[in-house]
Amino acid sequence: MSKHQYAMVMDLNKCLGCQTCTIACKKLWTDRDGTGYMYWNNVETRPGLGYPRQWDRIGGGWKDGTLQPSPLPPMDDYGHAWEYNYEQRLYEGKKQPVMPSPEPQSGVNWDEDVGGMNADENYFFYLPRICNHCTYPACLEACPRKAIYKRDEDGIVVIDQERCQGYRYCIKACPYKKIYFNEVTGKSEKCIFCYPRLEKGEVNACAAQCPGRLRFVGLLDDPESPVHKLVLVHKIALPLFPEKGTQPNVFYVPPFNPPKRENYGKSILEDPRVPLDYLVYLFGAEVKDVITRLEAELKKAQEGGRSEVLQLLIGRDAETRFHVRPQLVQIQV
Amino acid sequence: MRTHLLMLIIATLLQPSAPIWAQTGAKPVAGQSLSVTASSAGIDTLLTGGPAAWNQIVAKRVALNRTPPLYDTDEPAAVEIPMLDVRLVRAGGKLLVCLSWRDTTHDAATLAAVPNTPPETRFRKVPTEADDRFFDAAAVMFPEKSGGGAIAPSLQMGDAEHPVEIYYWNATRGAMLMQAQGRSTTKRTGQTFPANGTYQNGQWNVTFELPDLPAGTTVAFAVWNGSQKDRDGRKYFSVWQVLE
Ligand code: SF4
Ligand code: SF4
Repeated sequence: MSKHQYAMVMDLNKCLGCQTCTIACKKLWTDRDGTGYMYWNNVETRPGLGYPRQWDRIGGGWKDGTLQPSPLPPMDDYGHAWEYNYEQRLYEGKKQPVMPSPEPQSGVNWDEDVGGMNADENYFFYLPRICNHCTYPACLEACPRKAIYKRDEDGIVVIDQERCQGYRYCIKACPYKKIYFNEVTGKSEKCIFCYPRLEKGEVNACAAQCPGRLRFVGLLDDPESPVHKLVLVHKIALPLFPEKGTQPNVFYVPPFNPPKRENYGKSILEDPRVPLDYLVYLFGAEVKDVITRLEAELKKAQEGGRSEVLQLLIGRDAETRFHVRPQLVQIQV
Repeated sequence: MRTHLLMLIIATLLQPSAPIWAQTGAKPVAGQSLSVTASSAGIDTLLTGGPAAWNQIVAKRVALNRTPPLYDTDEPAAVEIPMLDVRLVRAGGKLLVCLSWRDTTHDAATLAAVPNTPPETRFRKVPTEADDRFFDAAAVMFPEKSGGGAIAPSLQMGDAEHPVEIYYWNATRGAMLMQAQGRSTTKRTGQTFPANGTYQNGQWNVTFELPDLPAGTTVAFAVWNGSQKDRDGRKYFSVWQVLE
């Protein structure tokens, strides 16, 4: 375990699915050779295939102290890059319509907004994903080169590009499939939690750019940080797939999950729009308690009271949402 | 899982050569010597002339072992490449090595060339074509300090007292020189060396140009089969052999 731990909380009730975070990350970190298919930050529609597709069903993580590696997801599951035949249409005067080639079969956010059906009502929400900078990183354990390390000062998990030999045991071990292989360099890459920005007092690019203002960043062990309050004090944010055993440090405020249309005024847990089973699948059984807590806060506010929790979740300004001033790194444990 | 482990241990014990533990901390036995032919042929002919250039050189057939599973999560692997033919020639002040082995799968690719211009100045970046393929490879390992001594280095990439040099060739990425002093310490030096590989009729012939190693030097060989997802210690290896 590291001395300190950076964490991020994302409030899924506020995500617009706009992909601004994805592009902010891509422009900053993965606009290089070999990185085209890499999305250190991706936003996927849930329920849905995810990226790479079915990543949540293929394995990875820990069970009884042993790694559970999955197969390597093939490029088919990420989707192959395609090009458009603009030249022949625009310059060669051919009459065929502009078409992508090879024919797209899959891709990032492939099943956007498809979601699922709950009886006769459609439902979906967006799930933004980055590396979870886990407390017990399966990727780190799997690397025979010891190329992956967890920074003692802030818990950020990074791959030493000098030591990495591209063996890809880490990709198989990560239950979130948040490591990508760069075939051009022959090395694996992952989200670095924007540590070069944090070290200058700037928040992560995905969080800075998010128009939904749903990302909260700080040290989990800093009592003043919003992540500490949301996760440890108010207990309304949960990690994804806790049973994978890696102890993620990215937490989600689950969708409030209003009841279905005809149930207006009823409790959130009664006949909800997003089937509760699905939220339990993603966040574990504790999600029910979290939703109950959120509902109580909502009720308080609706009755004219003041909810600290909701005020924090609104996250009006950067000072509320982010606690990354470099001096915070000095906090003593 | 347990039966599979047992079978691999048995398979390792049944290999025709001496078991691994007989190979560390002692000089290899006489049967493991490699003869070296002096040749007046040009280095280039030997390196790039293909199998024809080596026809006259007698081959030593060296048994290959498959590494037992190193981690309890290792996927099982059959022994598909049980042996390797080694030919050695001294020419032009160098030691030339030709390794030949049968491999029914040709696991090599031509990666797109990366332009010299920085990626941010280009509209198109070179894509990652595949993320799940591994390539055929081979290597020759010998102690960094020539002349040997009474004890051969650990077969697992040498040890702290006995660093090793590894001349590694990869069917896709080419030749790279590495150094190690024990398992998981292998480092690329950033240097390369002349090497050439050809694949014909289900057989690899790979030539390496090594420094002119003196008689008595111990050398060991390794082969990786890409289709068996070989990389790292997941590979075939020979025990130490001695140059005559
Ligand atoms: S999410 Fe995956 S890549 Fe990130 S630290 Fe956890 S196990 Fe490693
Ligand atoms: S930028 Fe914010 S609102 Fe937009 S997709 Fe990303 S997390 Fe959601």
